[in-house]
Amino acid sequence: MSEPLLVLDNVTKNYGAIEALKGISFSIGKGEVVALLGDNGAGKSTLVKIISGGLEPTSGRMLFEGKEFLARSPAEAKAAGIETVYQDLSLCTNVDVVANFFMGREITRKVLGIPVLDERAMEAVVSKALASAGTRIPSLRTNVEHLSGGQRQAIELNRFVHWGGKLVLLDEPFAALGVEQTRRGLDMIRQVASQGIGVVIITHIMQQAFQVADRIVVIRQGVVAGDVARNKTSPDAVINMITGETLAGAGPAS
Amino acid sequence: MTLRTRQALEFALDNLVWFMLVFVLVVFSIFIPNYFQLGIFANIIEASSVLGVMSIGLALVIIAGHMDLSVESVAALSAMAVGILFCSSGIGLGVQLHPEWLMVPVSLLLALTVGGLIGAFNGFLVVRVKMSAFIITLASYIWVRGLVLVISGGRSAQDLAPAIRWFGIQRLIGLPLTAWIAIACFVVFSLIMAKTPFGRHLVMIGGNETATFRAGIRVNRNLIIAFVLAGAIAGLAGWLLAIRTSGATANLGVGLLFNAFAAVVIGGVSLKGGVGTLPGVYAGVLLLSAINTAINLMGLPANFTQVIHGLLVLAAVLLDAFKQTIRQRLA
Repeated sequence: MSEPLLVLDNVTKNYGAIEALKGISFSIGKGEVVALLGDNGAGKSTLVKIISGGLEPTSGRMLFEGKEFLARSPAEAKAAGIETVYQDLSLCTNVDVVANFFMGREITRKVLGIPVLDERAMEAVVSKALASAGTRIPSLRTNVEHLSGGQRQAIELNRFVHWGGKLVLLDEPFAALGVEQTRRGLDMIRQVASQGIGVVIITHIMQQAFQVADRIVVIRQGVVAGDVARNKTSPDAVINMITGETLAGAGPAS
Repeated sequence: MTLRTRQALEFALDNLVWFMLVFVLVVFSIFIPNYFQLGIFANIIEASSVLGVMSIGLALVIIAGHMDLSVESVAALSAMAVGILFCSSGIGLGVQLHPEWLMVPVSLLLALTVGGLIGAFNGFLVVRVKMSAFIITLASYIWVRGLVLVISGGRSAQDLAPAIRWFGIQRLIGLPLTAWIAIACFVVFSLIMAKTPFGRHLVMIGGNETATFRAGIRVNRNLIIAFVLAGAIAGLAGWLLAIRTSGATANLGVGLLFNAFAAVVIGGVSLKGGVGTLPGVYAGVLLLSAINTAINLMGLPANFTQVIHGLLVLAAVLLDAFKQTIRQRLA
């Protein structure tokens, strides 16, 4: 494994008396794709929110590039270089494709000292990014509410590919995509990883995990139930880890 | 459907209120004697300046997905503060500053500060303490009006200092300066909303607050600024109101809130947030003013005004729903 980009050390999260995460420890290397699997309610989304600054952990610590790391807001996580694609899409459907692509990072030019949106420059960037990813959207100036679910997800995926950063978290990114688009999405993930960016992908679809991941981490009932290299395990073994019938040799359980 | 007809239709839908305004003006000009005069049109613009300015602040907050019911009372309080300090009769203290023009910036600053402070108070409770904007600003609507009654003792201030009054009397191209101030506000805030990151962020926050938060936009900061702006703009409306009435009474501006709401909704701003533009709101304000003028000219009892405004708001909401269905067909 390459040098670790993000290390989670015994991260817990309680909601009142409910322990959503009972102590998660694993790490992600640079350029590594980790598939995070687990049944509904296992705590995958909670974990993603903790890394991306949406939630604060109850205890435990994280190291990002070797330094103590805690994102108190998504803005802080972004500043550190962590991009997130959420399960429920994070698009503003009331504005156009360009505005969504640049959400919070608009290109501006100064007019009399006042920052003014540079629409033309932004549109050029978006059309280039979408074209290179092979995504077809009729007009970049249509509001996102008029676009299909697949087109919306494509915008989000292209957004993270464009902005890159150092670590990308994907929470079920392909839920609304067709076969061809999913294949393209998986290619995008490999492409992003090959640039040295760490990728964590949450998915329910075993086939996708095995197609794209270097390592598979299984979470069950708030703990890591398995952490294995993809080429050292099989879908059946992973399913057993998810459901709790851990087999000997499936990997170290914590 | 070709792209061009689609774009034309989108354009028509986006600017529907302007077409309505033109339509109404043409119909009134044809059927109401004496309606078609420059003086009447100037009067329509002049009469809508206070309401127009107030609607800007209200629209900002509604576009950002919240609500500010307190704008009317805030305007009244600002007007009363200016009235008490700079009026020479009634409860006015008749404060004199030298040189006289100094009273203009001082009174304006006073009005903006009073408004801004109440806006900050609203914003803090809504955004930081996470209370419902509807309830918080309803409370402000009540207590701020109460404050007006308390500081005025129910009495009024008259004879505003001439240096301030000057803005209501001096005309430029047929319109008093107060009307130009309202127009300038619309231009400035329309540009802010359409062309700056701040305006873009407000629209996006109104559309999907979670998404903007995740994208790293400082949602709370932007929302508090929106509330402060709404308060300060309401303060400005109060300043204009004091000039217009040359003083302030305890019940100054009662009912303006509902007209502002009507204008904002007619102007195409969705109460759900995230939808609407300020030029549209201005058209909405002018539309209301045009209808008021028609009612006056026809000699209908003024009591009808409220019924017509109410029906207009209903029509605007229905129209909004209708536009939504057309848009969905287009997509």
